[in-house]
Amino acid sequence: MMTTKTTEGFDTPVEEFRAEVRQWLSENVPAERLRPWTTKEGFDQHRRWERTLFQGGYAAVDWPVEYGGRGAGLRHTITFAEEYYRARAPERVNMGGLYLLGPVLMQYGTEEQRRRWIPDLLSCSTIWCQGFSEPGAGSDLGSLRTRADRDGDHYVVNGQKIWTSMGGFADWIFALVRTDPEAAKKRKHAGISFLCIDLRSPGVEVRPLTMVDGTQGFAEVFFTDVRVPVENVVGEVGQGWQVAMSTLGFERGAVFGDHAKFSNDVAALAGLVHHRGFADDTLALDELGRVLVSTEVYRANVYRLAALAEAGGDLDRTASINKLYWTEMQHDIFATGLRLMAEEGAIVGDTSAIDENDPLTARAWQEWHHRYWYSRGAMIFGGTSEIQRNIISERVLGLPKEPRPS
Amino acid sequence: MTATLDMDRRQLEEVTADLLGHYSGLDHLRARLDAGEAHSPQLWKRFAETGLVSALVEEERGGAGLTPQHLPGVLHAMGYHAVPEPFLETAVLGATVLGAFPDHPESSARLEALAEGELIVGIRSSHLDPYVAFGANADLVLDVTSEGRVTVYRPEELDIEELNAVDPLRPVTRVTPRGSGEVLGTSSETATLVSTLAVAGAACQLAGAARRLVDLTVEYVNVRHQFGRPVGSFQAVKHKIADVAVGVDMAEAAAASALGDLDQEGAARRAAVAKAYAGQAADHANVEALQLHGGTGFTWEYHLHFWLKRVMSLSAAYGTTTTHRRALAQSLLTHMSKEDRG
Repeated sequence: MMTTKTTEGFDTPVEEFRAEVRQWLSENVPAERLRPWTTKEGFDQHRRWERTLFQGGYAAVDWPVEYGGRGAGLRHTITFAEEYYRARAPERVNMGGLYLLGPVLMQYGTEEQRRRWIPDLLSCSTIWCQGFSEPGAGSDLGSLRTRADRDGDHYVVNGQKIWTSMGGFADWIFALVRTDPEAAKKRKHAGISFLCIDLRSPGVEVRPLTMVDGTQGFAEVFFTDVRVPVENVVGEVGQGWQVAMSTLGFERGAVFGDHAKFSNDVAALAGLVHHRGFADDTLALDELGRVLVSTEVYRANVYRLAALAEAGGDLDRTASINKLYWTEMQHDIFATGLRLMAEEGAIVGDTSAIDENDPLTARAWQEWHHRYWYSRGAMIFGGTSEIQRNIISERVLGLPKEPRPS
Repeated sequence: MTATLDMDRRQLEEVTADLLGHYSGLDHLRARLDAGEAHSPQLWKRFAETGLVSALVEEERGGAGLTPQHLPGVLHAMGYHAVPEPFLETAVLGATVLGAFPDHPESSARLEALAEGELIVGIRSSHLDPYVAFGANADLVLDVTSEGRVTVYRPEELDIEELNAVDPLRPVTRVTPRGSGEVLGTSSETATLVSTLAVAGAACQLAGAARRLVDLTVEYVNVRHQFGRPVGSFQAVKHKIADVAVGVDMAEAAAASALGDLDQEGAARRAAVAKAYAGQAADHANVEALQLHGGTGFTWEYHLHFWLKRVMSLSAAYGTTTTHRRALAQSLLTHMSKEDRG
């Protein structure tokens, strides 16, 4: 959950902070499991939970105090996440805002933009989504065509975004648009700007897309002559590509503390092995062992990156390695669970094979297929695994670039 | 991690890189291979003079008084250079076991000899590994049982059978005691520490050897041209290397933490995780490195095989990936069934 550097004034010892967080979570995490956020009812429940977190001062512990965070350093941020997952608190639903836009505003935004958007983002009064991909611009994001033409003190936006996560629930979108289509003739990454657009503006049409498992989670967003004030551009006009690349860095880089979530998943996997009667089956043990090892390795990596960040090191080189690793690991966890459940792996959410005295495993199994599909999506969003491999081989290992078609 | 520890580590890594770069490069490996004898007393003497061999020996016994936490980088370098010496067995495990029984009358003399580079130690720990690395070179073999009974054998009390090891520069032997040896004592703490160090140390070496496979392969595909361009510019090639590099990078993280955080709770578990993962990542590196080197990598003349074989040897040593995975999985299941799963 790291986004920015520590600010002064957060000096609670880690273990004391851990106790404080644990106490607060034990008093505030809803006893009843929230409905899935992919439903309207569930999304509203999650939004209310975000507000509770915000009021407790835990919406973004790592953010600087001046933006409503706690100014917690990395150790405290990791500790918070470890406790959050330990308490099995609800999924966070404003990831686009908290992890992507927030850091961008702190780095590139004007004082006015920060004042205007950050408080509502933090309290989850405003849900943000990311408008990067287009039908013709996925992995080749630089070919995006949505344009924003200047008209007085407004831009007029026309075009389409797609695969917009949370698009059906969001209030605002931060989008990449072409403010200078001429510049693209020389260099396709030029002339792009990072523009924040109110989805309630006239001319915006959001069409929810039903996902592969039948749930709602993403959308297409159409813009027809949408008027957006020029002051909604974040960063320099025409410098949107650079701003966007930094958000991808946030998206791909270490989410500090996430390892605790995967440890919960491995515990559930062990539960499945147990209930399926495979505890003495060496092949099942090999599978469980492999997944357990990969999540523990991920933990070691999180702590290594935290140490690197604390020492002022450059995390950019690690972002693609991190993304490729965790998405493949996450997929392995859920695919392994389906394999271990054998015939029952083909039945969605049926917990009859799981002992009722083991509610944690039962609950995990109820959500297993949804998480499985999510893990498939994670290997595509934020730059596909193939794009990450290109980046790793060219920028980390220094292999020659592939000749571009002329 | 304290700033001093960090600085000491970096200094040690520099000294090691310098030493190995000068004296344990390709010429040395080739010479040892041609000689049919991995261990070189001259090289070992240099290790001793530099203070590497005595890193863990107390200062009053002629050592540097460092801790295993100082050594992840050193062990990584031993793998990276495919050093054909029993550094892990003698300088890490041997020094630790001998140092654990300070009241023994010969303890001081043995540690001093070890620190001087005059005592090579073989480690026999049958519950962990059926073989003894560098057993034929050992001046003493320390037998450590899973319960922690430590017995010292001199070579004349042992049958030492040299085996046809896959990696001729990491020779392994089958060691069978003929006599009863001398029991140093029993300490379950020492047994746990020794096996944690062996497993974590092997993981560090494996990560280092696998890193060399990545570097050699990156270098080769940059140079080798086919179809008028470097083969490393083809996406099929790049993606294979990227996958290997991710595994090796993560193996390095796990291995460094396994040894570097030895004093924190869960050290044995972290070591098993690191060894299991490093074995997996190194096996993958082994396969793709040879594949991407094509015919060149398959020759005796080219040097890739030093590392192909080193990772095979280390993957098999001190518990394989499968051994550690199963044990970790079993331990998780046992732990869970003990707890109220509610």
